[in-house]
Amino acid sequence: MHRSIGSRVGRVAYGTLIVLLYAFLLLPIAIVVIASFNSGNYLRFPPQGFSLRWFRHFGETASFTRSFFFSLRLAAVVTVIATGIGTAAALYVTRTAKRYREFLRVLMIAPLPVPAIITGVALLIFFYAIHVGTHGAFGLVVGHTLICLPYVFLIVSTVLANFDRTLEEAARNLGAGPWTTFRRVTLPIIKGGVISGAVFAFITSYDEFSISLLLGGVGTTPLPIQLFDYLRFSFDPTAAVAGVISIVMAMLAVLVTERLVGLESLYYGRRS
Amino acid sequence: MATIRRGDGGLALPWARLSRAAATRRQKAFLLVLPAVALLLLFFILPYLYLLYISVMTQSHNAKYITRFTLANYAQTIGDLFIWRVIFHTLRLGVITTVIALVLSYPLAYHLARASSVMKGLLMMLVLTPLLVGVVIRTYSWMILLSDTGLINSLLTSWGVQPAHLMYNDTGVTIGLVHIYIPFMVLSLAGPLQGIDPDIERAARSLGAGAWQAFWRVTWPLSLPGVVSGSVLVFVLAISSYVIPSLLGGFTVITVPLLAIRTITELFNWPLGSALTIVFFALTVVIVWLFLRLMSRAMKGAA
Repeated sequence: MHRSIGSRVGRVAYGTLIVLLYAFLLLPIAIVVIASFNSGNYLRFPPQGFSLRWFRHFGETASFTRSFFFSLRLAAVVTVIATGIGTAAALYVTRTAKRYREFLRVLMIAPLPVPAIITGVALLIFFYAIHVGTHGAFGLVVGHTLICLPYVFLIVSTVLANFDRTLEEAARNLGAGPWTTFRRVTLPIIKGGVISGAVFAFITSYDEFSISLLLGGVGTTPLPIQLFDYLRFSFDPTAAVAGVISIVMAMLAVLVTERLVGLESLYYGRRS
Repeated sequence: MATIRRGDGGLALPWARLSRAAATRRQKAFLLVLPAVALLLLFFILPYLYLLYISVMTQSHNAKYITRFTLANYAQTIGDLFIWRVIFHTLRLGVITTVIALVLSYPLAYHLARASSVMKGLLMMLVLTPLLVGVVIRTYSWMILLSDTGLINSLLTSWGVQPAHLMYNDTGVTIGLVHIYIPFMVLSLAGPLQGIDPDIERAARSLGAGAWQAFWRVTWPLSLPGVVSGSVLVFVLAISSYVIPSLLGGFTVITVPLLAIRTITELFNWPLGSALTIVFFALTVVIVWLFLRLMSRAMKGAA
């Protein structure tokens, strides 16, 4: 009796806590949406009224639209490279590597513990030393891939660590070759991890600021840098429009992932 | 010969042919990791070595540096009380952010891991959506909320409460950092939590453990891998953040990345900036290594 009342109070408190945490998490998103449709130059309480003027302004500003499409293309290229080499590396390091396993693991996640902004500086100086400079998107692709690789590696490694290897042994015992075993047994089980790694890589690249700040050149300015520069001079809600576009894209990405693999498999491939 | 010895892991095996076959297979498998290793050696290790090289070069007013070996840049970094203050400030922000993010993320991740299949899709979307909105935009949103004439303060004023300084100080930076890195923590925690069979918790409860005891003795130890990876991730991301301290901190919050960039791109002092970078890098590596060491011992003790 005593315990059931206690647990009921506990459950209500727990539920309230969860709702509050989601509210905190989503508050800035809501603010961005409201600010983008608000007619005023500043968002005050209460809002001043509905308007699409900031959307029009965003669409008419060539520097924004150009940066937006550039960021999308960059993220797509980086995702393909980082997911490919990251997954392959995770397979080798968690399974085959012996003596150098720890060294390789540290090497793969090394770009993570280093401030990305400092990696950007090191790369900038290095690219100038080898006369590549910041012409074209080469520096950006390399820099972004460095930053995205650890995420793919870590996520896929986690899946592989929980992987029941007797399944593969069974496949091999039943006569499947290594490639068939990988394609028919290993890949379907780690697929969730690989896709969630790819989603992480795309997000990280599209959202990447530090590397882009230093390695972006003329005509290759990713959207975050364009926005940062804009916000330093004007505080109007044109930036919020970019936010709304991001939110729509985010939901699309999440929906696509859900359709393809199911969002549960984002928990490192487990699907019960 | 050398490759075979490497494949054997230095063990002298009597079945030479078998071990040679295994070595060949491992060599072939090495192709899997080769592209990643090449990328990291060429465009990560090498640039950092170059940075290391510049850090022991002599400072100059009219060139980037002079090719003459010196340790003066390190002496200057380590001997500078201001720089140490900036380093400790940065690390403290990182620790506070990580702890708060862990405390706030754990209930979210637990709730997510135990939700029904349909709810899970929806909740996952809610957690992921902020992550997919750029850091500059989210920081801008916090500026709308936290500034002296912002939404929160205009609400406080309308209620007759004294407005608070929420921006251009540590409070604003911490709020921004915690908010931005919570999704990373939730994602790190959700995997291991999802992997814990609810029956194990139920078994603990039916054997007489209270809810708190069942959590502390069963769920928490089993979720430690997620706690460790999430904490390392958030700590490292938090101390290397540039946008949040620069926009939400104004000029009052100086972190190591801000200082290093300023030294290199504004003062054009490459040697000193490089030395500062390397000192901070070394400190970060030591902290993360100690933490992982400590946690792996704790996890072994729990198992």
